[in-house]
Amino acid sequence: MNRAERWAAAAVALMLVAGAVIFLYAPTDALQGPVQRIFYLHVSAAIAAYGCFAVVLLGGIVYLRNESLVADRCARAGALVGVVLTTVTLVMGMLWAKPIWGTFWTWDARLTSTLVLWIIYAGYLLVRRLAEPGRQAARIGAVVGIFGFVDVPVVHFSVTWWRTQHPGPIIVNDALPAQMLATFLLTMACTLILAAVMVWMRYRIETLMDEKQHIAEPVKVVTAREPEPVP
Amino acid sequence: MNPFRVALAVARKDLRSEWRTREMVPALAQFVVLALLIGNFGFQIDSRNALTIAPGILWMALVFAGLVAFGRTFAAEREQASLDAMLMTPASPVAIFAGKALAASVLLVACEAVLLPALTLFFGTPLSGEVVAAVLLATVGMAALGVMFAAIVARVRARELLLPLLTLPLWIPFIVAGGQAVQSAMGLPGSYQEAIGLLIDFDILFVVLTSLAARFVLDE
Amino acid sequence: MSYLILAYAFAIAALGGYLVWSLRELRDLERKH
Repeated sequence: MNRAERWAAAAVALMLVAGAVIFLYAPTDALQGPVQRIFYLHVSAAIAAYGCFAVVLLGGIVYLRNESLVADRCARAGALVGVVLTTVTLVMGMLWAKPIWGTFWTWDARLTSTLVLWIIYAGYLLVRRLAEPGRQAARIGAVVGIFGFVDVPVVHFSVTWWRTQHPGPIIVNDALPAQMLATFLLTMACTLILAAVMVWMRYRIETLMDEKQHIAEPVKVVTAREPEPVP
Repeated sequence: MNPFRVALAVARKDLRSEWRTREMVPALAQFVVLALLIGNFGFQIDSRNALTIAPGILWMALVFAGLVAFGRTFAAEREQASLDAMLMTPASPVAIFAGKALAASVLLVACEAVLLPALTLFFGTPLSGEVVAAVLLATVGMAALGVMFAAIVARVRARELLLPLLTLPLWIPFIVAGGQAVQSAMGLPGSYQEAIGLLIDFDILFVVLTSLAARFVLDE
Repeated sequence: MSYLILAYAFAIAALGGYLVWSLRELRDLERKH
């Protein structure tokens, strides 16, 4: 077992603990029944995905400031892991919505903005794949990552505003009972650790791939200063 | 160099080359009319439901015409490699970018000048100043974002594929607010004032953001 | 109930699949390195 495998095994073990707590410890919801247990991983994955996209945003900003390859690799890793986590969030959410709301999808602000989030970062990954690797791809990626992050709250806000123009289903958030809250917090912590391990592994992969393609930190070119004119 | 003058010069250059070839505007106009045709056959439109369907067809046609228009903004530069020459001049990239956006939005406005009367003609929806104002306000922000992403994908393979993927999600706020504005201007429920206010906010936000990003997109 | 199982089955498949895939990719790259 190498280092990455040990970390991965530890993260998986933590997720198994979270799974046991979700299915054995957490009480069954009085209104929704067992299907409410989707909530724990669904929301945790969403929060971890936002964390990953924050890494993309920060990586992009740092890259635009000083062209650091480390920042760009972090951004690449964050985008891929974030898209995987957003996919999990969306699919679990749809499977939860079907029995509770009677439909897989409604154009609610949160659903719409999560879908837009997914599309933007899937587009980010595509741009990275199609652009010439190196400075160009990194710059383009940084701009797309920053705009994507700005767009999501804007979409969320505009759909909320639009909803108040067209009254639609309203989701009421009740306060969680203590046991449910504890389960949720544990699941969230475990999911965040899993996401961090995934981003770190992806960062390693991106580093090795860069080395294979001979993309290295830009060498600072020091030009000789012109000799002072002799008076 | 005065950035405003640079922007105007870039816009004038683009519009003049369009005027010489007359490629884009006729193509876009035809595209828009075809979109209306498809809308007519895709939905069962009669005088009762035309009002609820027409705003949707308007935005569909506009968004896709916009993608075609912005996808071509850097075509000439790419074919003749003149962008590098432009960037080597002391003109600021933001000014060049603004000029490009200006020219592209003039083309889109020309296409709207066909779309809106055609919509009235074919679907019998009212053509009021309010509808025109909403569409024009949305054009401003859409042009800023569209030209920025056109500049981004100009140097990428499969750019025709990528431009819609990147641009459409960022246009959604404009379609939400613009759609609402057009709907209420055509007599459907909803507040027109609020929608227009939101459109102006989004315009300001994205024009500022794209001009901040222009340096990084065009520079190289 | 079946939706609950389906949802967690998908999550395990997606996250587990991604983890296994990236571990294999990492091992391949490290071997070549």
